[in-house]
Amino acid sequence: MTFDLTEVLEIPIGVGSITVEDLLYFAIILIVGVTIAKIVAINVRRALGDRLPKNERELLVKLIYYFIIVWALVVALPQLNFNLSGLLVAGGVAGLVLGFASQSVVSNLISGLFLMFEHPIRIGDSINVANVSGNVEDIRILSTVIKTYDGIYVRIPNEKVFTSNITNYVHNAARRFEYQIGIRYEDDAEAAMRIMKEVIATHPFALKNPAPSVFVDNFGDSSVNLTAYIWAPAQNWWGVRTDLLWKIKQALEENGIEMPYPQQTLRFADELRVTNRAPEKRERME
Amino acid sequence: MMFGRYRGAFHRECGSVSVEAGPVNGLMTYRRRCEGQTFERILVSETDEIVINPVEPVNLPEEITDFLMMEFPPMVIGPGATQTIYLKFPVEIGVYLDAAKCIEVLDVFAPGRQKYTLYGPATTGVIARYYWSAVYPEIPPVESFCDGVMELSISNASHEWAEVSRAVFDSTDMKLYYGEFVAVTTTMKILSKLLAETDFVDVPLKSDMVKSIELYTARKIPVLSRGYLMEWGLS
Repeated sequence: MTFDLTEVLEIPIGVGSITVEDLLYFAIILIVGVTIAKIVAINVRRALGDRLPKNERELLVKLIYYFIIVWALVVALPQLNFNLSGLLVAGGVAGLVLGFASQSVVSNLISGLFLMFEHPIRIGDSINVANVSGNVEDIRILSTVIKTYDGIYVRIPNEKVFTSNITNYVHNAARRFEYQIGIRYEDDAEAAMRIMKEVIATHPFALKNPAPSVFVDNFGDSSVNLTAYIWAPAQNWWGVRTDLLWKIKQALEENGIEMPYPQQTLRFADELRVTNRAPEKRERME
Repeated sequence: MMFGRYRGAFHRECGSVSVEAGPVNGLMTYRRRCEGQTFERILVSETDEIVINPVEPVNLPEEITDFLMMEFPPMVIGPGATQTIYLKFPVEIGVYLDAAKCIEVLDVFAPGRQKYTLYGPATTGVIARYYWSAVYPEIPPVESFCDGVMELSISNASHEWAEVSRAVFDSTDMKLYYGEFVAVTTTMKILSKLLAETDFVDVPLKSDMVKSIELYTARKIPVLSRGYLMEWGLS
């Protein structure tokens, strides 16, 4: 018995007049399309390198990738005797059915496109959305991936991202943070404020303008409370905040200004006298 | 003068800065010291060629912006008036590894402190490296490792008086030259009391100056010469 490849290829698969050969061509075209899409995407990503911000680069790569996939699909479908012009006619009814069936998928898809073009968030941004805080790892067609600050992977459907309140901590060029520092009542508040301003001025990323502001905010139970408002580039404000606080403490202490422990001064109406009664007690016991 | 091209082992020292390359334990090693900080890398290269020259002063302590803001004493400029002034601007030093048709940034350093500022509102403004300079009518004396000389030609193309005390530049298009000192030539065209265009001019301040390899050139990032539109005020 001989094996005839031509005969095998011409065997109908049972759906219309589609043969194994048609199915094979369809699969080959799709595989070639996906392979080309992947190669092109990798090379576009490599070629653009540092030339485009990561967000724009990834958006462009995804657009090119999906364009090639769709193109491969359009080329491959006629192999299955699938009439694309017929698709347009049937599209009305089929679209209605598909629309109801895949409502959430389409909703996520549309939301994803809006997210990509409206840019409320970008890859790498530090955000809070739907009560999840972290850095945006990826904005995909159907979902957004966030890496929380403790390194956990969270996938949020794009519809939820799009309809939620988004807090983007790094969207603006600069942001403000504040310190509340208490000093003893006997310390010189003027000197403390001068020292704090000097320390802030030495930090490269404590912005010159808007100028930092240091002032006596209130009188606490145990301390005179100073407040400092400092502006820093939004991308690295946290580093500035953690770096400056310790430097301010050190500078204040070097100049004899201390941060007091909580304390209370008690005054008694009658003068208190402390006597050592231990020897008397011992005598009575004996 | 430390700037130039070096092949093999070398040692250069200038004040608190020293740069050297030489064999350490049989391996070619680059070592830099600047104000108590040390940077060291083992080099594996067939050419062993190192280029040291000034680069755009927006990289330290870390690269967060492309913009440089020069602030200077306020100047009031009449409609149609033109004035060329000289400012001091901060210098950063770049060290490149040079192989055939391939330049790689090895190190960027600078003595002194950096300061950054916000130009414009927090929502739409830009972070810029900040530097204050006096205004000089002629090329001022500078410490070649700390400051450079910026020639700034200001022209008031508007029909009103304008007060200017700052100029913001997009450093991606910066054209640096070095010789006895580091120099850059810039222009500022005042369009109104609040608007001005700034740009770099690709000419040396003195004829014997050598053109620097800028970081954007080294990183092969294509840049269009487009200048920068200052739209959030001139003072």
